Amino acid sequence: MKNKIKVFRAMHDLTQEALAQELRVTRQTILAIEKGKYDPSLELAFKIARFFGVSVEEVFFYDELRH
Amino acid sequence: MKQNTFYLMAGIVGLIEVGLFWFSVELKNPLIITAGFIMGVGLLYVARMTITDLREDERAVLITQKAGSRTLEVFWVLFFAVSLGSAVIGFSTPLGIPRPRELPHDFPRDEPHLGYFGILQMILLCCIAFLYIAFRVYYARKYGEWDTDEE
Repeated sequence: MKNKIKVFRAMHDLTQEALAQELRVTRQTILAIEKGKYDPSLELAFKIARFFGVSVEEVFFYDELRH
Repeated sequence: MKQNTFYLMAGIVGLIEVGLFWFSVELKNPLIITAGFIMGVGLLYVARMTITDLREDERAVLITQKAGSRTLEVFWVLFFAVSLGSAVIGFSTPLGIPRPRELPHDFPRDEPHLGYFGILQMILLCCIAFLYIAFRVYYARKYGEWDTDEE
């Protein structure tokens, strides 16, 4: 699973720590998601998308080449 | 309770457990360490619930679950095998029916009997801790616990 969290973060001028606090997760979790090391739960994925005011598909997309 | 206070408390409980183990061996009474261990773990479980600054999210839970399940997956085979061995030792002697009401005064006897078996079990118990730590480090690394990134 790939994502554009880093892009959205930059657009909103947010640090990983700030986003993590908003979503009530750790900074390491945001970092792991951004790097593709951890796929978030559906709940967290929706929270992230809602936080940026976009749909889940705009933030997360399935990378078929990797699977 | 702060998380660091909890870690300090866990360390103290660990030291007490070591003391109880030594005491148990000295008095030749396994009940002391058995009851002490259960109470110690129970105390830590209760104390853990009172931590106020614990930051545990879904990724941390996943790492803990993966490490725990993998440890058990490997360890139950070893422990089951050793337990089967101990069962064989138990069944190799007459079962003693009718059973004596109380253990003989010289039990456990001073001459070597299950000493090596006890050492083996202690090694296995230590192994489970190291195995868990190894799996925890592996999954923590896999899920980016120590990654650094530019902001």
